[in-house]
Amino acid sequence: MSTTVRAPVAGSAAPLSTVPDPVFSAGMVGPGLAIDPPRAPLVSVAPIDGKIMKLHPHAFVIVGDDGRGVLVHLGIDTVQLRGAGFSVLATEGARIRAGEPVVAWDPAAVEAGGRSPVCPVVALDASAGAVVPLAHGTIEAGDALFDWA
Amino acid sequence: MAERRVTVMAEVGLHARPAATFVQTAAKANLDVTVGKLGGQPVNAKSILSVLALDVRQGETIVIKADGEGADEVLDTLVAIAAAP
Repeated sequence: MSTTVRAPVAGSAAPLSTVPDPVFSAGMVGPGLAIDPPRAPLVSVAPIDGKIMKLHPHAFVIVGDDGRGVLVHLGIDTVQLRGAGFSVLATEGARIRAGEPVVAWDPAAVEAGGRSPVCPVVALDASAGAVVPLAHGTIEAGDALFDWA
Repeated sequence: MAERRVTVMAEVGLHARPAATFVQTAAKANLDVTVGKLGGQPVNAKSILSVLALDVRQGETIVIKADGEGADEVLDTLVAIAAAP
């Protein structure tokens, strides 16, 4: 059964290869898509129904009941910010539905600090061919982003 | 069964780049490879989801195991990745 992965943030959807970090752009973490968010405070949401397996201020992983995990990374190298500027709105281990809030943050502040606010959305342990983009260009949070076959 | 213990030295722990490199290297090996925290449950070292779920922090010791031909070579490579600052 395929999984529809939804946009965790609004913005502009683009191939993962556009992300300015080779770990993501080369698909080392897995296939997926990137979203370049608007430069204004926003709330990132869960991309799928499931359990919040890992919740860091700058990144989170949601695992569906079928065991598939989706990683959302809020900006590049944002682990270095140690949570500054990010507000966690959910609880690790809790169940969550796609579209429900996870972390509030400000892409403008991330960019002002010299980092890219681009958000990789990655299908963990998926083969490259398993991900089919459903969006390109402007999208809203919660819109279908890609299909995970 | 060959086994190595190594302390993870990267500031971010076994996440992001170190995790991706570790899993990619393990996945290339033609044998089963597991990784776990010292005293903890081992997980499939070829799964990025499993490795991220382990949540290994800087300074923590992990146990990497592999069985079969070339296991020592694979483990030595993985140890080098995990021990890299």
